[in-house]
Amino acid sequence: MTHDPANQHLAHEAHSQPHAPNVPLTTASATVDGGDPGLSKKGLSAGSVGLIGAIVIGISCIAPAYTLTGALGPTVAEVGTQLPAIFLIGFIPMLLVAFGYRELNSAMPDSGTSFTWATRAFGPWVGWMAGWGLIAATVVVLSNLAGIAVEFFYLAVSQVVGFFGGDAEAVAGLVRNPFVNVITCLAFILGATLISYRDMQTTQKLQYWLVGFQLLVMIGFGVAAFWHVANGTAFDATPVELSWFNPLEVGSFSAIVAGLSVSLFVFWGWDVTLTMNEETKGSNSTPGRAATLTVTIVVAIYLFVAMGALAFAGLGSTDVGLGNPEIQENAFYYLAGPILGPLALVMSIAVLSSSASSLQSTFVSPARTLLAMGHYGALPRKFSKVSPRFFTPGYATVVSAIVAAVFYTVMRFISEDVLWDTITTLGMMICFYYGLTAFACVWYFRKTWFRGGRNLFFRLIAPFVGGAILAVLFFTTLIDSMDPAYGSGSNIGGVGLVFILGVVILLAGVVVMIWQRIKRPEFFRSEHLARGVADRDS
Amino acid sequence: MTANTEPGYRIVVGYTADDSGADALALGARVAGATEASLEVVMVLPIEARGGVVPRDPGHERRVKEQAQAWLAEASAGLGGDVEQALHIRYADSFAEGLVAAAHEFGARLVVVGPARGGLFGRTRIGSVASELLHSADVPVALAPVGARKLPVAAGLTRVTAAVGGTPGVVLEASVALARRAHAPLRLLSLVPIDLPAGVDTGLVNLTSTVAAEQALEGARRELPDGVEASAVVATGQTIEESVGALDWEPGELVLVGSSRLAAPSRLFLGGTATKMLRELPVPLIVVPRAAQTP
Repeated sequence: MTHDPANQHLAHEAHSQPHAPNVPLTTASATVDGGDPGLSKKGLSAGSVGLIGAIVIGISCIAPAYTLTGALGPTVAEVGTQLPAIFLIGFIPMLLVAFGYRELNSAMPDSGTSFTWATRAFGPWVGWMAGWGLIAATVVVLSNLAGIAVEFFYLAVSQVVGFFGGDAEAVAGLVRNPFVNVITCLAFILGATLISYRDMQTTQKLQYWLVGFQLLVMIGFGVAAFWHVANGTAFDATPVELSWFNPLEVGSFSAIVAGLSVSLFVFWGWDVTLTMNEETKGSNSTPGRAATLTVTIVVAIYLFVAMGALAFAGLGSTDVGLGNPEIQENAFYYLAGPILGPLALVMSIAVLSSSASSLQSTFVSPARTLLAMGHYGALPRKFSKVSPRFFTPGYATVVSAIVAAVFYTVMRFISEDVLWDTITTLGMMICFYYGLTAFACVWYFRKTWFRGGRNLFFRLIAPFVGGAILAVLFFTTLIDSMDPAYGSGSNIGGVGLVFILGVVILLAGVVVMIWQRIKRPEFFRSEHLARGVADRDS
Repeated sequence: MTANTEPGYRIVVGYTADDSGADALALGARVAGATEASLEVVMVLPIEARGGVVPRDPGHERRVKEQAQAWLAEASAGLGGDVEQALHIRYADSFAEGLVAAAHEFGARLVVVGPARGGLFGRTRIGSVASELLHSADVPVALAPVGARKLPVAAGLTRVTAAVGGTPGVVLEASVALARRAHAPLRLLSLVPIDLPAGVDTGLVNLTSTVAAEQALEGARRELPDGVEASAVVATGQTIEESVGALDWEPGELVLVGSSRLAAPSRLFLGGTATKMLRELPVPLIVVPRAAQTP
């Protein structure tokens, strides 16, 4: 923690005081009051993260090592070697929606994000469900994250134990014991909750190193994979072909949709680089550059590593072949050993650190949305409570953690492929609330569409097309996932588990919403958060 | 002594909207009332962009700030209009850092913080905040004991006790100044470290330490400015905790101790003796940095 004496000159502003009119109140502005003309030095230091900092935060939120190990297998299962093509296409709706997200964020910065914006655009009912979708998506991903972390934790321990001549197999096998697995996972969730509740953050400096390490390991993984291919030591050397980039070779529309719905998840979180830069008011070029660089780095890494993995392991359905359902839900877990050999431990550490930063950033989002919902009266007041010591949404954080823990535990016992099923469900939830957010953008800005080409593109065309793609993905996935063979093949009574999960989550949202309508009618009469429409250009 | 003539005698209270903050605020208000100081009630919010993982969220920051404003207004309303006060929101990497910066900003002569939660049996435990503060502050720091909020502002400052050890210097000076400002009687307390390894002849130790304690009191008396009256007491007991527990304490009393000799000049650091005292002390403790301003 460095303390720069130059930052001690604080700017003050007087605020009117409702309860004690005679008592002056000063606040050091830390760029909190957006558009503050007297932006202090302290404020700038609090606000600007700079280009590198923005990229680091962006990559931390995407957590490429974690997302790729989770998404590689399920995507390959759907689209085979056309994985690179699907990853590239999957970025398009995310980019288009992110443009709309950025417009909404600069017009109505609010921690309720999708909830608040959809409520403003479409009223309380749609807004409530958008908030629910966001919370569901993040809670689902929390359980997946913790699940991946558990597997890599035991892998890392077994690698260390093996190094010292112990029984590595026995340690690695612990993860297959559902009780050990669930208890470890709950311990991880508890740890993440404490960190989030107490607002302990990884310092920027440490995070620079962690992200650098993560990228380095992934590049090393790709290089090693291609080296094995060139050396003839690959498991099932598969030559790279141009057709890998051609989505039309996938075959069926359903397969493309299923692949896309998973690949959305690999770019989820990238939008923060766009919105984050709204605050770095000092430089107008940083926003675009940080977002562009982040996505370029991430896409390059994804393509390189995915192609390396495909070239090394092929699509065979045995052993470490990427067509083997056994390894598909956590690809790096199985590929790290064959590809990296004695250095496999670094992959475990990379995925673990990646999951840890993703847990940190992911936890914040459902808690803040719940806080906003409590604040506007869409949920009990308790949710709007801020911890007096740590200034975090304490109650909301604990509730999110409990739900994520219960969700993981139940899933671990009813599904054989928890990680896979959660990723697919997550894809559906992302389609749901991102889609609603995109349409909220279109509708909220309807009076400003035709005021200039910029508005036309960012407020109408981009979010509308993005939202439409996500809507198609959502409904197609919903219908296809009824098939018991969908995705991992988990099913209950002949109905696909992913379908059941998606429907249960959304219907539960409707039930809770109706219950809240009875308990808290004010919100549903738009008394706290009214519908609105933008009539200014920007 | 210079304190009396200085126009803006200010006290910074590190406020949080919980029991600990209420303890700090009540103590700050009581000292301010007794010494005619003005109270700067400061809430320190975390700088959002300090980490490298979680992106900033201005919407959330604004909400937290509004909450902090509401909390401050509530606290201020609870204080009533008798104490001159101002409310502040500041941003810092840590609570302690924000308070030290606030003390500099306002030229405060005293920083008041509350106890850490989890102090046993109503006694004060040093929390991470106080601990960080004691390591970094260059102004006197008052540690409010658990339950300080129950004592009304009107209780005032009934006695100032200076814990004088080997080198009374700054503690004595600070205590004299504070007692004078508050028109409160001054008491000199001599505590001589008596925690010795087991097996040492306790009778002999008691004798030597009592002699040393008397000597320390004599030394302190000689250093008192002319015309300042002070009572004196020697704490005896097998351990520091025992001796502190055996003394009589008034509810409206304040104890001043010097920071450890290990502390860097003008920085606070609580020594072993003071830490043990704090554990037993039912009244607020003010830690005075070596060679610094008086509270």
